[in-house]
Amino acid sequence: MRLSLRLACLVIALPPLAIVVWLFFLPFLSSAHLSLIREDQWSLRNYYLVWRLYKFDILYTLWIAFFSLAAVLGIAVFLCGYLRVHVNRPVEFLFKIPLFIPFVVVGHAMRVLLAPKGTLNAVLSQVGLINMSDPPSIAFGWIGIAVSLIWKNLALAVLLVLGAYRSVDETFLEAARNFGASTFRQIKDILLPMSRASLAVAGAFMFTSMLASFSVPLMIGSGEPPQMVMIDVFYRINYQMDYGTANALGVVSYLLAMGVAGYYLKTITQKEA
Amino acid sequence: MIRRTLRMSGTLLTMLVIFGPLSSLVIWSVAEKWYWPHLFPQQLGFFYWAKVLQGDMLRALRDGFLIAIVVTVLTLLITVPLAYVLARLPIPFKPVILMVFLLPQAFPQLPVFVNSTTLLYRVNLGGKFWGVVLIHMVGALVFAVWTMTAVFKSVPETLEEAAINLGASRFKSFYSVSLPLATPGIIASTLLVFLYSLDEFTGTLLVGSPFVLTLPVYMYRTSVGYELQVASISALLLMVPGVVLLVLLERYMKSEYLSMFGRI
Repeated sequence: MRLSLRLACLVIALPPLAIVVWLFFLPFLSSAHLSLIREDQWSLRNYYLVWRLYKFDILYTLWIAFFSLAAVLGIAVFLCGYLRVHVNRPVEFLFKIPLFIPFVVVGHAMRVLLAPKGTLNAVLSQVGLINMSDPPSIAFGWIGIAVSLIWKNLALAVLLVLGAYRSVDETFLEAARNFGASTFRQIKDILLPMSRASLAVAGAFMFTSMLASFSVPLMIGSGEPPQMVMIDVFYRINYQMDYGTANALGVVSYLLAMGVAGYYLKTITQKEA
Repeated sequence: MIRRTLRMSGTLLTMLVIFGPLSSLVIWSVAEKWYWPHLFPQQLGFFYWAKVLQGDMLRALRDGFLIAIVVTVLTLLITVPLAYVLARLPIPFKPVILMVFLLPQAFPQLPVFVNSTTLLYRVNLGGKFWGVVLIHMVGALVFAVWTMTAVFKSVPETLEEAAINLGASRFKSFYSVSLPLATPGIIASTLLVFLYSLDEFTGTLLVGSPFVLTLPVYMYRTSVGYELQVASISALLLMVPGVVLLVLLERYMKSEYLSMFGRI
């Protein structure tokens, strides 16, 4: 390339790069740095505190993320298979709606729906399914968080999985149908194996997003342990001003996301290169 | 016959799953008195709507829109040229640049933004309008760079080569060939950036609170403070722009454009 063109490219690339490097890349590195400093000295005490105070919260977070991911993928694989074989536009459209509803709103809606005196219990008590003097609390616990994450992520999963299924050539399905394959067999033996790679990317993406979910547990969490890791980070900073431990916990969350993140980054950049 | 009934019930079930959780918001927004465990409120009315539309919420709504507009314009201005360069020219360090614009998608945001907030306070932008704009731009840029690069890649390069062969400069071929062809994709991506900024919560809470308030943060505060009617009204208002965009743009939205919205 000519020098002037090179310079023009540099000028063009600089401002957006500067913003992302300044406000994401550097802070990302500085969490690793700060996590190793306690009372102005290098130390591993922050990690010790994370282990002592938050090991169950880490497990709790992983449990919610794995459970929700399994549920979302389990539903999406078959629902999308059905939608791929028998087209149903209204259902497809309906599943796009949650994409456009931010997590905070989902959190609030689920809080109103699932709280002990929420709408769901009010409906159930009308039919006499629950005991009104001691209503069950689905919100304020892991199920409430999982339900919200599943509801929101299902839309994304349907979008991505259906996209992957659509790129499977129709002739494969026709051939299978000619041999009398049911919808289930078409999903299990053709659609699913042929879109495994896209499914893995979608799964990786959703797993990190669930691991990192903040507004949903903030809205419907109980405020008592166990908490999801992001809430711990937030509270550690807001109430204790303890940046060391908060950052150590942050680094742990990066490591949890790392395996999937690495895979995700590799596939996406390979596709682009 | 059985098949059609099954299909109908499937659609109805989907409607229940999607609208069920949202319907309580509608009821709560018009509930003036609602004692548990009654199925419906004892007194319906628009008292809280009237109350909300003259209070703090309007300010949050206005500030949120203002921030979203500024974020969208700035992002558009700096992303379009970069996306074109990334899609067309063999620039050095391209994989590294692409990687930088992917990182924020692949790692948890909150622990990073905690430190970004410190950096912004250090240059006196914490709790300020421009600080919130900048933190929104991190996510917006990531989204816009990827989608707009894809848009420019989908414009056939041969058209531009033809223009260059006919004596047009690089800039001219970009401006009068590629840009017009990429415009629909750019518009779709721009609208989604606007929506992203409007709905952003984590960064706004960390950087802006308690001085800069947008609607999602306002909603969070009222919901946690058990002002359920006010929170429900804000939640409904927050849903409007997204649903309008969905209805308008449904056909143009490719899945790559939308995957970002798994995060807000």
